[in-house]
Amino acid sequence: MGHFSKGWGVQVRVLKALMLRELTTRFGRENIGFLWIMGEPLLFAILVGLVWRAMKGPFEFGVDIVVFVVSGYIPLVLFRSSFSRSIQAFTANSALLYHRQIKIIDILLVRFLLELIGHMMAYLFVALVLGALGIFPWPYDISFILLGWFYYSLFSFAICTVLAPLSETNEVFEKLAPVTTYLMVPFSGAFFMVSALKKDIQHIVLYSPPVHGMEMMRYGIFGPSIDPQFSYTYTIAVSLPFMALGLAMCRWIRRDLVVE
Amino acid sequence: MIECRNLHKSYRLGHGRREVLKGVNLTVSSGEKVGIIGRNGAGKTTLIKQIGGVELPNSGKVICRMSTSWPLGFNGAFQGSLTGYDNARFIARIYGYNYSDIQSFVEEFSELGGALRMPVKTYSSGMRARLAFALSLAIEFDCYLIDEVMLVGDADFQRKCRFELFEKRGDRAMVIVSHDMSTIREICGRVILLRDGLALEHETIEDTIEEYNRL
Repeated sequence: MGHFSKGWGVQVRVLKALMLRELTTRFGRENIGFLWIMGEPLLFAILVGLVWRAMKGPFEFGVDIVVFVVSGYIPLVLFRSSFSRSIQAFTANSALLYHRQIKIIDILLVRFLLELIGHMMAYLFVALVLGALGIFPWPYDISFILLGWFYYSLFSFAICTVLAPLSETNEVFEKLAPVTTYLMVPFSGAFFMVSALKKDIQHIVLYSPPVHGMEMMRYGIFGPSIDPQFSYTYTIAVSLPFMALGLAMCRWIRRDLVVE
Repeated sequence: MIECRNLHKSYRLGHGRREVLKGVNLTVSSGEKVGIIGRNGAGKTTLIKQIGGVELPNSGKVICRMSTSWPLGFNGAFQGSLTGYDNARFIARIYGYNYSDIQSFVEEFSELGGALRMPVKTYSSGMRARLAFALSLAIEFDCYLIDEVMLVGDADFQRKCRFELFEKRGDRAMVIVSHDMSTIREICGRVILLRDGLALEHETIEDTIEEYNRL
């Protein structure tokens, strides 16, 4: 037990140090500094929300359109930015491998956690501001919002663990990644309620793991009126094998990493 | 004790691979000072990276039974975009040291003054060596891995390094890569010659150095 708690102590220490380092290198200490972490998702969500509002009117699927877009877009931006942060993450951080207590999975985990924290902060911020303006409804069940976030993040991180070692093996993956994540957009669940789709299309989109997380989040916000469609097990059943594969690939690629 | 068992390491080179280490065996006991010599490209830095766990061998094993520093060299171990102070903060955090102790040691030892507030990428190689030495001496290890940085810096700095390393920490083990045979003779108890991807060692240091000179 003593051995375990010592190891755990080192792990926590390393993750904390890496997070602070990543914050400093990415955002610096100028102007609002670390708060930039939520800047990008915030701008994305608000601007896209306003564009939809202007194009399609105040309501979509029976709920406020700005809330609908914001609640879908912020997790989607997390999905995309965590992918792009994981591309070549090991090469970019190879100096860290000089310290043997840092494992390459820590590098990935830290990058992902920072994205997650930033996007969740942006989400909370938008919800509070729109809530104060009377646009964002009082959530029907906050625990489902959190559960949805958990499912969504689990899947995103699982993909990151596969993508990062793949991007180190061949530069083609690096070039293909942005367009692939773009093509994933319709399968993120951000721009529709599953219940509003045709039955055969519902069937197809429910094969996409993040859709389940998104439906949970929306159920947590809007309640049963949107008729959410999700499975508690499907996202986990897909994500865990992906993560196991990803971790094995990370282990394998570590052997070939060339450190300057 | 550090034990390298049959280390093989190759790097991708075009479509093939170039094997740098072809079965290196090496044991470093605690307190022992081992010099590594060899021509440019013989694999000295590669070997020290495997010992330090920076890179992993293709096959073979490195068994470390004492705490080992990261390889001290010109590059690596720093984040160039961070300042000297931020690098020190990071090192203190991951090794679980008190930052104020590290900070005062680094300031005093490196004598870099205001440059510590500048990003490390703006440093000259002499300044980098000062910071590298300061940071790794601020953390106590049982074994220090030193890759050629011994000869950098002015005479005064070299004196300080020697004092901190060989007098204050004379009881620690060291693996030292150097091209300077007088340093090797003065400090090392054993010398390993890397040639054709293998580690050779003769009965005496002089025999090994002589073979190196004949190469």
